[in-house]
Amino acid sequence: MPLAAIRTLPQELSFRTKEFLLTLQEFFLFSMRAFFTMPKLRRYWRDFLDQATICGTESIPIVLVSAISIGSLMSIEVGNLLEEFGAKTMLGRSTSITVVRELGPLLMGLMLSARFGSRNGAELGAMQISEQIDALRAFGTDPIAKLVMPRLAAALVMFIPLVALSDFAGLQSAALLAINYHKLDPGIFWNAVYPRLAPKDFVVSFLKAPVFAIIITLVSSFNGFSAKGGTAGVGRSTIKGIVVSSGLVLVANFYVSKVVLENMK
Amino acid sequence: MIELRNVTLKYGDKEILKNVSLTVHDNTIKAILGPSGVGKSTILKLMLGLIKPYSGQVFVDGTDITPLRETELYPIRRKMGMVFQGNALFDSMTISQNLGFFLRENLKLPEKEVEERVSEQIRFSGLEGYEDQLPENLSGGMRKRVAIGRALIFRPHMILFDEPTAGLDPVSSKRILGLISSLRQESNLGAVIVTHIIDDVFSTADHAAVLYQGEIIFDDKTENLHQADHPFIRSILSDKILEL
Repeated sequence: MPLAAIRTLPQELSFRTKEFLLTLQEFFLFSMRAFFTMPKLRRYWRDFLDQATICGTESIPIVLVSAISIGSLMSIEVGNLLEEFGAKTMLGRSTSITVVRELGPLLMGLMLSARFGSRNGAELGAMQISEQIDALRAFGTDPIAKLVMPRLAAALVMFIPLVALSDFAGLQSAALLAINYHKLDPGIFWNAVYPRLAPKDFVVSFLKAPVFAIIITLVSSFNGFSAKGGTAGVGRSTIKGIVVSSGLVLVANFYVSKVVLENMK
Repeated sequence: MIELRNVTLKYGDKEILKNVSLTVHDNTIKAILGPSGVGKSTILKLMLGLIKPYSGQVFVDGTDITPLRETELYPIRRKMGMVFQGNALFDSMTISQNLGFFLRENLKLPEKEVEERVSEQIRFSGLEGYEDQLPENLSGGMRKRVAIGRALIFRPHMILFDEPTAGLDPVSSKRILGLISSLRQESNLGAVIVTHIIDDVFSTADHAAVLYQGEIIFDDKTENLHQADHPFIRSILSDKILEL
């Protein structure tokens, strides 16, 4: 049996590679169609507003929770570390850069991948399994324009204020802990924050919002559209959507930071 | 008129349809009969251009739809109404919204005309009083009638039914079959019915085609089924329901 498996390995690898490349091609065409249908946004204005509420307004609690927890944690841990070197006054600088550039947008991206991405994957997957997407096509409606484009547009618009909120809440919670836990003077903390944060830090932070919006929406929607195999298939496609989009968010987070910080003064 | 000309369809290495040719004329009801999983529903999807054949052509009113792009297919699809096996109703919309959805979406009719057409379909389908219900609150037979109403509201030339009585109780099945028969008499509509229940074929269809192992083994008037000498057709005439 193992020998037989080894013998068929090249064919299996070739099949898997072809399957992967075909999926990439389908994903690329799917994404292009989602962007090319943007001029129909006016027609699907109500769908856009619904999705903006789902991915924006309704995501505020989870974004706040993640931002506050990471801001607080950074303040306590980094404060303890800096205290050993007698450099506690640097706490504002180190936490602000970490929260604004990296951890604020990253955690927001991961949380939205779990919340908005899973919703997209499950909802569209259930529609695919119950032939509702085929019904749209059968009666002459473009399902990508109706279902994916408003989600993409809403995420592109709403992720930016969510990043701002995440940065703000993260900084405020860090300040609160610095003042109350490390007994740092508020003036010392904030004076280390604002003059040190350069425009490139905000560019890094806010550029991540549309990048994450595109990744999360398109990956989760594509997986929903590709669901097959009943309710178990919906579960599989939803999980795949979250895992892939979260992984891509982590990779994109690194590259956006790298590219902007290397190329901007 | 819908015509499949030498259509072959493959999923991977598996050949689902082998050189299938089939014609459905306007104002006739044609049933496609065959066991489950043989590719009957696939034929309906080919007729709508939802999937492309591996080889062969599909003509709708003389137009070859196989090379057409998705956006070019939309006006052709609107000539046909489709009733899916699982109904495919939008579960977050009420019955009225389901019925009016495609009129608002695609035809952009004045709201007054949309409401008139929705009311007309509600009456035709016998769903008065259920306008504001969600599909999940309706019985299987009622959901099927909503799906038929949604397909008819476009005023198509042809209506495609995928297993219209599957999973329904005998009373609901009879009502649905009565509704299908009345379509041609009252609205002069053509229809394609995919089914594995032979009684449905005899009670509604003028013509029947039998699909077996990916090939059409019979394509003629329904009453001629009794004269067919293919062993599979002989067996289904004695068993009545194909659960193979």
